[in-house]
Amino acid sequence: MLEARGLRKSFGALEVTRGVSLALPEGARHAVVGPNGSGKTTLFNLLTGELRPDEGRVLLDGRDVTALPPDARARAGLTRSFQKNNLFMGLTVRENLALALAIGERAGTVFWRRFERMPGLLARAEALGERVRLHEVLDFPVRSLPYGTQRQLEVGLALAIEPKVLLLDEPTAGMSAEETQAMTALIAGLPREIAVLVIEHDMEVVFEIAERVTVLDYGSILAEGTPQEVRATDAVRRRYLGERAG
Amino acid sequence: MDIADFATQTLNGLQYAMLLFLLAVGLSVVFGLMNFVNLAHGTLYMVGAFVGFSVATRTGSYWAALAAGPLAAALLGAAFYFLLLKRMQAAGPMKQVLVTFGLIFVGIDAVRWIWGEDSQSILAPSALGESVSFLGLVYPAYRLFIIALGLAVALLLHLGLERTRLGAVVRAGVDDPVTAASLGINVDLAFFAVFCLGCALAGLGGVVAAPVLQVYPGMDVAILIPTLIVVVVGGPGRLSGAFWGALLIGMADTFGKVMIPDFSGFMIYAVMALVLLLRPSGLLAARHGS
Amino acid sequence: MTGGEDFRRHCVAAVLLAAALMGLALLGYSGRDRLAEIAILVIFAMSLDLLVGFTGLVSLGHALFFGLGAYALAGLTTMAKIPPSLAMPLAILAAAIAAFLVGILAIRVRGVFFIMITLAFGQMGWAYFQRSRTFGGIGGISGVGQPDLGAIGLSLANPADMALIAIIAAALVYLGMARVTASPFGRMLVAVHQNESRARALGLPVQRYKLAAFTLAGAIAGLAGVLAAERTNFVSPDLLVWTVSGEVLIMVIVGGLGTLVGPALGAAVWVLLRDYLSAVTPYWMLAMGLFFVAVVLFADEGLYGLAARISRRSTRDA
Repeated sequence: MLEARGLRKSFGALEVTRGVSLALPEGARHAVVGPNGSGKTTLFNLLTGELRPDEGRVLLDGRDVTALPPDARARAGLTRSFQKNNLFMGLTVRENLALALAIGERAGTVFWRRFERMPGLLARAEALGERVRLHEVLDFPVRSLPYGTQRQLEVGLALAIEPKVLLLDEPTAGMSAEETQAMTALIAGLPREIAVLVIEHDMEVVFEIAERVTVLDYGSILAEGTPQEVRATDAVRRRYLGERAG
Repeated sequence: MDIADFATQTLNGLQYAMLLFLLAVGLSVVFGLMNFVNLAHGTLYMVGAFVGFSVATRTGSYWAALAAGPLAAALLGAAFYFLLLKRMQAAGPMKQVLVTFGLIFVGIDAVRWIWGEDSQSILAPSALGESVSFLGLVYPAYRLFIIALGLAVALLLHLGLERTRLGAVVRAGVDDPVTAASLGINVDLAFFAVFCLGCALAGLGGVVAAPVLQVYPGMDVAILIPTLIVVVVGGPGRLSGAFWGALLIGMADTFGKVMIPDFSGFMIYAVMALVLLLRPSGLLAARHGS
Repeated sequence: MTGGEDFRRHCVAAVLLAAALMGLALLGYSGRDRLAEIAILVIFAMSLDLLVGFTGLVSLGHALFFGLGAYALAGLTTMAKIPPSLAMPLAILAAAIAAFLVGILAIRVRGVFFIMITLAFGQMGWAYFQRSRTFGGIGGISGVGQPDLGAIGLSLANPADMALIAIIAAALVYLGMARVTASPFGRMLVAVHQNESRARALGLPVQRYKLAAFTLAGAIAGLAGVLAAERTNFVSPDLLVWTVSGEVLIMVIVGGLGTLVGPALGAAVWVLLRDYLSAVTPYWMLAMGLFFVAVVLFADEGLYGLAARISRRSTRDA
């Protein structure tokens, strides 16, 4: 579904991504882990188009999208959530979801009908709100919501456009234990057809949702495999998980 | 165009470029540091010129004016910084820019109030009043002075950036404002110093330009537009951007006026349009995006 | 946008319309002329609100399209001898095309650079018309053709009729723009304004929408310019000078960004304030500048926003 081949990216003298390749089949549940500074978010930015690679290609559904900007990739079915909440802050939850749905449906060319009267839009916004467990706060301004709830909306917006590939950038960042559980359940409940790639620091979450794990270190892949395989790899244990007795 | 004409126009272009550089460098570096454009920068140029005019008239000395103009501009800038800019830091760059825009209106009428509507001028110092001849060319000494002054300022600023601690802080600030801020010590003071220096340079530009251009309420916007084009074309935040941008625009404007008189004055817009089309981040863009 | 908010805006707009029509009935010659001027500036200000308030693109060069509309009309009627009723829509089209072309370049930069670029383009236009012998240079062109409205018993040479046409035009533009800004298209513009990167990540072709907003705003400004040329029967480079762009921006911000009716209010307040202040002192721009700075610092939601906030608070307490 999503494929990265030999991505390289440097900022000045610093090479942040060194020849990373990745394959994400349909329905994948794949996590990217690694210490801070290992280039995870840069990798995401290369995949979504916010950054252009110096070398390498990105393929979406077999199609080379390396030259496409983020909005074109999103229209082709690839979208992301952000590490820091990136919401339409001045609006309510319902308005956020409706807006995202409208963008996904390319409704922006309609200029004469009232937005609220677009057939079924508000109903679908409500349904989407329920799917991401936000149905109780639909009419609250986003600004007034607790951080964890905002994170749910963060994922909800990305889901609104019915992507084929979903990139989640540290979805549980800054969350409490309950919030993390709620988010994990949300991710576990994502439609099976979507290919999901998650950047995560919380290894428990990784073990719960990921079927494959890629470990990044200083911009290149240290190990890749199922969570159990990766956990057992010496290199990983030494470098990332820390020395463990036995 | 024969060699002598070409040389004359090159010198004219260089002179105009140096003037633009004096204004653009302050604007550009302040933008790189503080992500903020002072649209009233031209007002400082105008105030420098008018204060210089008053001092020159009263003392009969051009050199006194040359000292007074930048000083007045720097003081005005400092006042603006403390009274408004610092308080608005949380408000964001857009609001700050709008405020400076409002101040343009205030500036023009304030100048009219104090100095009246008339055009004024400052006489070049007698030492530089003549034309010099060299290499078969006759050229006003004062304009050569402007070129020399501009180049000297560029050199001093370059050395200052590369060799002094303040310069290091400024360079760090432009490349990575977040880290620079986390270094804490005196970063605010550094920014303030840079801002005032930029204002002083604008005022200097005003006095320096006065014997060659007119001094009148409205000269602020007349120089602001080419200055903004220089900042956009050269790429904001860099001394080299301001320098080479000014050179490009100064030359383009001068040669454009001579070679295509019907479209005189439009060369700089054509250059701006071309740069926007091909390299929107500027020809020598700073590393962190706008 | 809640229904209550929309209703409040339409009410204020209706009140403004009523006041205008009353003024039309009661005022004398110069008062009616003033009304026409205000109505035209209302259209101009609302067009800029689409750009600044809704899409978040702060332009300091909007007078370019205002002036181009006016000059296009003047040129078409006096030089190409095209009848005014045909020349008017053509002039608006010319302004729209110019906005499209300038927009393509201007949207390649953001934020403060966008401000600088639009300022530069505005000045470029002014410099061109100042110098252009074809278009009369500093002296401008007079004798701009007016459409013959004799069939409906109106004559634009009569300030009362001109004011009526201008007021009706303003009302129609308001209704049309209210419709468009409440539509999905309008919401896309708000999305761009609120969070451009998220809109892009969701698949919105952001640049296309910015260009569309810029072009539409330019076209409506062109309409205002056409009416302005009709009103005074005269065009000059003064229509494009940077202070005009600045003043209309001030009207929009002082009135209240993103509300349509706020800028309409701002335009009226501006003209009345300007008339009052310039009678009192020759340095009215200084006062205006300070007033604008104060609004930006302390009441950035503008007069309408301030009034709306107070009324919301009082209805909550009541």
